[in-house]
Amino acid sequence: MNNNPDVIIIGAGVIGVSTAFALSTAGLKVLILDRGSVASGTTSAGEGNILVSDKEPSPELDLALRSRDAWFEINEEIGGGFELEAKGGVVVAQSDAGIDGLRRLTSAQRKSGIDAQDITGNDLHELEPHLSDSITVGAYYPQDAQCQPMIATARIMRAVKAHGGEFISGTTVTSILVHGDRVGGVETNKGRFSAPIVINAAGTGAGQIAELAGSYLPIAPRRGFILVSAPAPQLIFHKVYDADYVANVASSDETLQTSAVVEGTKSGTILIGASRERVGFNTEIDFSILRILARQAIELFPILAEIQLLRAYRGFRPYAPDHLPVIGEDPLIKGLWHNAGHEGAGIGLAPGSAQLLSDAILGKSSFMDATAFSPTRFSRAGAK
Amino acid sequence: MISFTFNGVELKGQSGQSVSAALLVNKERINRYARFSGAPRGLFCGIGVCFDCMLIINGQPNLRGCLTEIQPGMIVEVQNDH
Amino acid sequence: MIISHQIIVIGGGPAGLNAAKYAANAGADVGLIDSGLRLGGQYWRHTGNAEVDESMHHNFDQGSLLMDAVNANPRIEVYLESQIWSASVINNMIILRTKDQTFQTQRLIIATGAYDRSLPFPGWDIPGVMTAGAAQALLKGNGVIAGQSVVVAGTGPFLLPVAAGISSHGGNVVGVLEAAKRLSWAPKISVLIQNPSKILEGIGYIKSLRKSKVEMRFGQAVVAAHADEDGLLESVTVANIDKDFHVKSTYLLKCDVAAISWGFTPDTSLAGSLGLKQGVRNDGSVIIEVDKDQRCTHSHSEVEIYAAGESTGVGGSDLALAEGAIAGLATAHSEKSSSQLRKLRHRAQKFADVLLQVYPVAAGWKSWLTPQTLICRCEEVTYQKVREACEELNARSARDVKFMTRCGMGMCQGRICTRNVSDLFDSEDHDRILATYRPIITPITLGELAQEGLL
Ligand SMILES: Cc1cc2nc3c(=O)[nH]c(=O)nc-3n(C[C@H](O)[C@H](O)[C@H](O)COP(=O)(O)OP(=O)(O)OC[C@H]3O[C@@H](n4cnc5c(N)ncnc54)[C@H](O)[C@@H]3O)c2cc1C
Ligand SMILES: Cc1cc2nc3c(=O)[nH]c(=O)nc-3n(C[C@H](O)[C@H](O)[C@H](O)COP(=O)(O)OP(=O)(O)OC[C@H]3O[C@@H](n4cnc5c(N)ncnc54)[C@H](O)[C@@H]3O)c2cc1C
Ligand code: FES
Repeated sequence: MNNNPDVIIIGAGVIGVSTAFALSTAGLKVLILDRGSVASGTTSAGEGNILVSDKEPSPELDLALRSRDAWFEINEEIGGGFELEAKGGVVVAQSDAGIDGLRRLTSAQRKSGIDAQDITGNDLHELEPHLSDSITVGAYYPQDAQCQPMIATARIMRAVKAHGGEFISGTTVTSILVHGDRVGGVETNKGRFSAPIVINAAGTGAGQIAELAGSYLPIAPRRGFILVSAPAPQLIFHKVYDADYVANVASSDETLQTSAVVEGTKSGTILIGASRERVGFNTEIDFSILRILARQAIELFPILAEIQLLRAYRGFRPYAPDHLPVIGEDPLIKGLWHNAGHEGAGIGLAPGSAQLLSDAILGKSSFMDATAFSPTRFSRAGAK
Repeated sequence: MISFTFNGVELKGQSGQSVSAALLVNKERINRYARFSGAPRGLFCGIGVCFDCMLIINGQPNLRGCLTEIQPGMIVEVQNDH
Repeated sequence: MIISHQIIVIGGGPAGLNAAKYAANAGADVGLIDSGLRLGGQYWRHTGNAEVDESMHHNFDQGSLLMDAVNANPRIEVYLESQIWSASVINNMIILRTKDQTFQTQRLIIATGAYDRSLPFPGWDIPGVMTAGAAQALLKGNGVIAGQSVVVAGTGPFLLPVAAGISSHGGNVVGVLEAAKRLSWAPKISVLIQNPSKILEGIGYIKSLRKSKVEMRFGQAVVAAHADEDGLLESVTVANIDKDFHVKSTYLLKCDVAAISWGFTPDTSLAGSLGLKQGVRNDGSVIIEVDKDQRCTHSHSEVEIYAAGESTGVGGSDLALAEGAIAGLATAHSEKSSSQLRKLRHRAQKFADVLLQVYPVAAGWKSWLTPQTLICRCEEVTYQKVREACEELNARSARDVKFMTRCGMGMCQGRICTRNVSDLFDSEDHDRILATYRPIITPITLGELAQEGLL
């Protein structure tokens, strides 16, 4: 069924499929394997935000900016259909410290090419009429966008197949074939697949794949809960969040952190996040966290108190200790490439990450220097 | 007998009846219009499972007519737009 | 406020009532919670007006005796209008939440029953098309006849009380359409004979239908519904179907209500968040798995969870009663022998298993669908969109389809469509069970969720 692919990609999440898209566009024959179906991992939990607002000037911001534009290019190329929309982001600050921090952030972001507009009072309430009266300071980011990540991934997969790529679902990689220091393929519950290049896009499973190859990647899950409201006439028009969110995203604390993130979607539902905690793969719903998320959301938008909660779910963000994705060739095993660890921004960062990795594999220069994301940055002491 | 209004018109129901049952007695079968197609919907499962009988009751949307007991003076409206 | 009981029973139908009674009689302190306005569940749904209720029921005496016994028992506290919207185990306590209260216990009995199984067909969203259970609930719970000219259709013995109820209260039943063949019972006659009360009940309904000159037709099904210019039901297309449910020929039947039941789907909402082992029956329904004492399998060490009645598999009120009694005794750690009850349960279970064989739902219903037929009523997802997700976007399960098309993401959280989508995919058990996971059992407002002082 798989006549000698050039590349095997482990993982049919947004990262693996985007990578497949970049490589198959460049003419390579790709084979994608996933233990589940397309986008059945963390990608199905993503809210689909494509954000530039939550990043400080850094290589990650450069990656985010390129990715954001690339999403709109892909939308054109594959004929849309995944609810991509530049709906814009609104960040609000409530405390004095928060206000100072936000103003410093926007000014630095502007220097890096982000359209970050400081806004106050009426302007803020014109953007979000139901925002609490007590909130008067914010920033507006017209570039922030959103898509429906599972449909996006499935649609990109369709394009990959049109490029001659192949996808086999229900296929769990159980070992990585390594000859000397070179990768040769993978062993799965459905047999052996050979290829000179193997890409690890296994999301929260990426550490395990590295281990199977005899290498090392410190990628762990960071749990997050999302509340979904019943469909309602549109009340919230942008992605709106508290400036604390930026600090929480960057925090390395293991214990629970929450900050209000509220947004309306095209389907009429309102999504409310966001919590972050490191509790392994604990799948239980912690209702005390749901209550906190509801309180914080109502603080931003008092009208939400009347809105019905319909669903709640959790997902596991794949994260590395320094909160940066891992994009590049394995330091120990030649031909094994990683594209993983995108934590809470994997949807947004997918097309740029795919392009970086594809350029590196093809030996082409890319749109930015990828050193910050190199897998070599983790201590080799961890390697077995 | 209990009086309530449906879309502004006064109707009568029996105490203990659900809003949906009282509406049916008054030959009112449409509780809401579907969000996308605008097609009419009415009572379907009758026991609170399907949410097809949602109405606006005393200003509150998304209430299930089959589960809500009719009360004197209740203001019931067909649910649109949700 | 947090309310504790030694034992909490969720569901005040036959199973839950009996469970509470047996547990309390064995000395336990019991809390009985139900979302409804009155006890009784589906079978003993009533208006509270004794005269009306007597006339609506085949067997209301037994029900009112049991409800009276439960209400009068000082060891049982009854909580009505108390919908549990979520459950979890925290620090060796089972926590159950209503919109304004929290209950806690270490011993739980789940008796949440079942709801009608609906199959999609063109026009099934037209007002006037409803489940047979809905017509029954209108009658038993409200004293209201669903329509002026009613078609009762689908499969199973439940069609009989629904049709008999409507016609004996002055409704015009224009046809009872049973998908199974006339003599479908014949090969199972031995089981039937062991359940004489069922025969008598059935004969009673048939007599009553004869008296009202209601015609019963076999091997027929409603395969399409048609609306008048106001968008209300005006007629249905009835098909003669073969045993696979494929259409052989059709005719039109005028009616303003089509009350249709294809059996029932167990309500296992609580199982997912409590981490209970679930299984899949031959008919594709997801059930809570229990052992001989009605005990559930889970990984929480200090708590005991039991399930009884139709949430463990559809089987009617006799089975629900027997299971409830056994669960009540077991939960209360009673020494009392339940061997007699086990015999009752065994017999009722055999009867229920035979019902599934005699009244199967065959896969040919899929051929009734057109591209425009809604699969998900809430989010208005058509059969065509489901097919596209499958053929073009690699969807392989109800869960995939949900994320790709919103089928099952609406207000009912897939209670109506998920089983059908799983059937469309011929899903494996694992996927069927996964598709029923709903940690928020019923919507509450964010304001209610945000309350302080509740677990
Ligand atoms: C609650 C929540 C909200 C989020 N919101 C956003 C957001 O708004 N914007 C944003 O940009 N990001 C968001 N994210 C983050 C984003 O979802 C992730 O960064 C992204 O989905 C990661 O994609 P991935 O392809 O790396 O991982 P996955 O989607 O998990 O894909 C990895 C795949 O690998 C497969 N796999 C793993 N091991 C094996 C194996 N051994 N064999 C075969 N297959 C294997 C898995 O089955 C899986 O399908 C959110 C995350 C969470 C949890
Ligand atoms: C609409 C309908 C009508 C029926 N009519 C008949 C009939 O006339 N004759 C007949 O023989 N059979 C009838 N049946 C079949 C019926 O299911 C069984 O006969 C019998 O009632 C099953 O008993 P049970 O105790 O298992 O569940 P049920 O009787 O269904 O009782 C379950 C109870 O649990 C409550 N509940 C469920 N979830 C929650 C929650 N989260 N929080 C609080 N409370 C909850 C429900 O409100 C309900 O009262 C009907 C079924 C349905 C769906
Ligand atoms: S009719 Fe189904 S919820 Fe009311």
